[in-house]
Amino acid sequence: MIQPEAKLILDISDLHVSVEGQNILKGVNLQIRAGEVHAIMGRNGSGKSTLAKALAGHPAYSVTSGRVDYLGKNLFDFDPEERARLGLFLGFQYPVEIPGVSNIEFLRVATNSCRKENGKDELDVFEFEDLVNDRLKIVQMDPSFLERSVNEGFSGGEKKRNEILQMALLDPVLSILDETDSGLDIDALRVVSSGVNQLSSQTNATVLITHYQRLLDEITPDFVHVMASGRILRTGGRELALELEQSGYEWVDKELQGGGDN
Amino acid sequence: MTTQNALNELVGKPYKYGFVTEIETDKISKGLNEDIVRLISSKKEEPAFLLDFRLRAYKKWLQMEEPKWADLGFPQLSYQDIVYYSAPKQNEKKQSLDEVDPKLLETFDKLGIPLSEQKRLTNVAVDAVFDSVSIATTYKEKLAEHGVVFCSISEAVLQYPELVQRYIGSVVPSNDNFFAALNSAVFSDGSFVFIPKGVDCPMELSSYFRINSGDVGQFERTLIIAEENSSVSYLEGCTAPMFDTKTLHAAVVEIIALDKASVKYSTVQNWYSGDEKGVGGVYNFVTKRGHCRGYKSKISWSQVETGSAITWKYPSCVLQGDDSVGEFYSVALTNNKQKADTGTKMIHVGKRTRSTIVSKGISAGQSSNSYRGLVQMTKSAKDSRNYSQCDSMLIGDKASANTYPYIRSQQPRSSIEHEASTCRISEEQLFYLQSRGIGFEEAISIMVSGFCREVFNQLPMEFAAEADKLLALKLEGSVG
Amino acid sequence: MLRGDFLKSLPEPRGILRSVQIRGRDYLERFGLPSGKSEPWRITDLERLKTLLSRPFFLSRDENESNLIRSMAVPPSDGVRLVLSPSLQSIDDQKLPKEFRQITGADLERLLSSNIPNSASDKDWAIGLNQATAGTVLALRVKGCNPPPLELVAEAQLDRFSPSRVVLVLDSNTQLDLLEVILGKGCSAQSHFLEIHLAEGASLNHGLIALGGGEAGLLANVIVHQKRDSSYSLSMIQEGWSLGRIEPDICQGDGHAHTTLRGLQVSKGTRQVATHSKISFQGPEGTLDQLHKALVADKSHSIFNGAVEVPQIAQRTNAVQLSRNLLLSNNARVDTKPELEIIADDVRCSHGATVSELQKEELFYMRSRGVDTRQATKLLLQGYFQDILRSLPVEAERWSVLERLLESVGD
Repeated sequence: MIQPEAKLILDISDLHVSVEGQNILKGVNLQIRAGEVHAIMGRNGSGKSTLAKALAGHPAYSVTSGRVDYLGKNLFDFDPEERARLGLFLGFQYPVEIPGVSNIEFLRVATNSCRKENGKDELDVFEFEDLVNDRLKIVQMDPSFLERSVNEGFSGGEKKRNEILQMALLDPVLSILDETDSGLDIDALRVVSSGVNQLSSQTNATVLITHYQRLLDEITPDFVHVMASGRILRTGGRELALELEQSGYEWVDKELQGGGDN
Repeated sequence: MTTQNALNELVGKPYKYGFVTEIETDKISKGLNEDIVRLISSKKEEPAFLLDFRLRAYKKWLQMEEPKWADLGFPQLSYQDIVYYSAPKQNEKKQSLDEVDPKLLETFDKLGIPLSEQKRLTNVAVDAVFDSVSIATTYKEKLAEHGVVFCSISEAVLQYPELVQRYIGSVVPSNDNFFAALNSAVFSDGSFVFIPKGVDCPMELSSYFRINSGDVGQFERTLIIAEENSSVSYLEGCTAPMFDTKTLHAAVVEIIALDKASVKYSTVQNWYSGDEKGVGGVYNFVTKRGHCRGYKSKISWSQVETGSAITWKYPSCVLQGDDSVGEFYSVALTNNKQKADTGTKMIHVGKRTRSTIVSKGISAGQSSNSYRGLVQMTKSAKDSRNYSQCDSMLIGDKASANTYPYIRSQQPRSSIEHEASTCRISEEQLFYLQSRGIGFEEAISIMVSGFCREVFNQLPMEFAAEADKLLALKLEGSVG
Repeated sequence: MLRGDFLKSLPEPRGILRSVQIRGRDYLERFGLPSGKSEPWRITDLERLKTLLSRPFFLSRDENESNLIRSMAVPPSDGVRLVLSPSLQSIDDQKLPKEFRQITGADLERLLSSNIPNSASDKDWAIGLNQATAGTVLALRVKGCNPPPLELVAEAQLDRFSPSRVVLVLDSNTQLDLLEVILGKGCSAQSHFLEIHLAEGASLNHGLIALGGGEAGLLANVIVHQKRDSSYSLSMIQEGWSLGRIEPDICQGDGHAHTTLRGLQVSKGTRQVATHSKISFQGPEGTLDQLHKALVADKSHSIFNGAVEVPQIAQRTNAVQLSRNLLLSNNARVDTKPELEIIADDVRCSHGATVSELQKEELFYMRSRGVDTRQATKLLLQGYFQDILRSLPVEAERWSVLERLLESVGD
């Protein structure tokens, strides 16, 4: 929900990011306030995932210029784990499999790291078990997944549920969900979306990165941004997503070409 | 007939390049001593630096021992029973092909390498080496227009002594190993390639090596220099007549690639491998090494090894330039009593260097086929990668396939990945193909060629087809 | 050459091992030290081998032993613990559970007479060393359907060279959990030789935990003879040796047997730790499942050499070998060398090897959940170790190996 005087969570100005020497983001501007749900759409290669990775602090993505304030602080002063503890959550498009590392142990260490940062008591094994069992309901996940290695051998849908489970445990301020809908069948999509909806509140914000309208049928965005060539080309309400669904991205090309003529 | 029997029958096939050319030769007497080294050098009217190089190598060789580590089990070679120089008698270096002895042209015709203007291959420049000397190089003028030098090394020594002096022995030092030292002392001829800055060589370059005399050792030396931003694809082919005695072939190939240069070196080796009892055949003890000196340089080795009684070679890359790339694609087929011990060394020195190794070994009969490789990440080779894949296929239960992939790493930010497998042609697979109307031999051939596909894809077009045929031929026979 | 004074310092050959000792010393005298040119020893630090041999030979229990005893875990509640010591006297059979009997007399002599190394090769040099030096042997025959787990602890003596030798025979269809623990400390030097005979249908789950410390050195050989339908599983943990070298040599005499090898090497400081394994299939339809792991830090050096022999008789062998190395420092070094020799055609053999640092994507994933690099590394290492640790016999838990390994790599 849009509340103009709500707290500013994220303020991106003129962000440039490169990967392996290639400039991917070429001046992104975006403001996100508490209570808002944003959707970022665009074709493959438009820079959506790069934005997400750069905000989370992936070492392969270097910020060449621009500024990002997160809760009033310079985001780039923080390591990836510090950003996570400050409530920045990235739901990965392709969550990595970590053989040998037990899922529940990883979840507990992660949860406690964030709790500690926020002055809460660390949970012991039993307390954590209670918490995780409670949160499992949000994503309708089978407890047997806790005993397995992190994401190892999980199906696409199971991996995404595991992502939302982590979101539920870490209780983030800003969640960036990168293509959370990709590879999900319609039932899994509903489960995941309902999880996201349950977790969203007036004090946090969500960014959905997606190709498709269908996720936005489940989670209603307040703002829709269209990215192309490393910039946000247009911003609108949810009707912009519908427009894209109907007329495709061709106008984007025109607009970009038009821009080139200037 | 069972698959096994049929397979056993399949594997003996006559060697079709086994003829001898009757030609008068200028042959020096057997044996090796300092005077022989001097004689070879003087016959070739070499400058002093090269005689020095030879003599130094000879002195080192005297102190070295024939290596035993590969456990190849060949009888001690008698280095005094070898003739170190033999050349077809020609009055002097021919200015044009028309003056080359027709018998020689005929020989190469018969080998499928026509040299005369009318018949020569349209897209390939050929340097033909007969015993110890290069007898002709085609398309020299056309290449010269692009600044590309392609000639025999003897000619290069006289025409471009400063290039030869600068680069010879700079990749394979003369004391590198026993056979390299021997080669450095007595090498007779070979090819020289120089691609100047910024030139993409307009055609494939090819050397064809032919051993003709039974008691002559062949010690050719090839030197390829690719300057900045240049590229070349080079092919090497070889055959020898059938003799009851073993013939020694100890070549040295050196490649230098400067900044952003790319060299592709392909070999189809079909030396005479001896008969089914292991009598006769060529000992092929070769040192091939490429030095990626420049930033983003690339050296790629592709080889199809089908011949020789014993093959012993490890075409290698020293990846010194940052971002340089080394590749090794190999098919080695052994049959009867052949022994092949081949593989590669990838030495990563520069940052972000990458290497790929794909080796396919096929062993039939009582042969032994080994992959032996080294991948080394030195301390400086930050963010480098290697991927190796070594597959063996066994045909019959008397053949052996060995794999010795040695890995050494001193650089944590680099990764090495090695995979290997061993398989055979399964009866079910054969049956499946046969049930679709494909004949037995063809089915085997399809399977083998499928097994080798990844490597054949790396060969220049003309070669790939030839290699496929060659393998089929090697495995051909009558099925009852 | 081997220093004459090492051989001279040994006590007179006597007892049941007399003839073995004489032959072993004869071998050492003739062969001297292994050569840096021979393949099995090429990359071994021979200077350290000399250092190991320069330790005074253990003669009698001295007071230092208490140091080592204290580092031991509590004895198994359900099972037998035997402490191997060079001065080991015969054990009272009465004190052993009914499934265990000592092998003596002609039976023992027959078992002991095999395995003298070929005088022309230094391939089994470490066995020769053990035979030259070991003055006592623990020889056990195990039978029965449910023997209690056996724990053998070899306690090297501080600043001494001590040999230990064990022969273990499992009768047909016997299943046993064997946990061997070799402890090193200070400047101890241990030569350990274990020979195992598995009769038809026997099954042995063997844990070998070799934990050194200080400048301690270890040369350990494990020879296993497997009969038809037997199953042998070895899980080795090797950490903390200045020079550590374990050589499992397994022979499936008639094929139709299963072998599982799990190895974990952890090296840091300037240590050199090596595993040279060899498995030979002398009959059809045998299987091998081998996984070797090495974590290499600081300026240490890790060596793995894994030979697999599949001769013509070994049709339908199925062998898998994997070597996974973690290189954590650019002053460390990994040498890994699989050796596959295959003559049989109807076989399935595959092997793979990797060398890399910790996976960056895995680390980033964990960091993005608030786990710092140090903790994430610990979690990853724990997972890496546990892959091997979990195949140890359950009795191993008392030794807190995981904690010890994590502690050793933590800074």
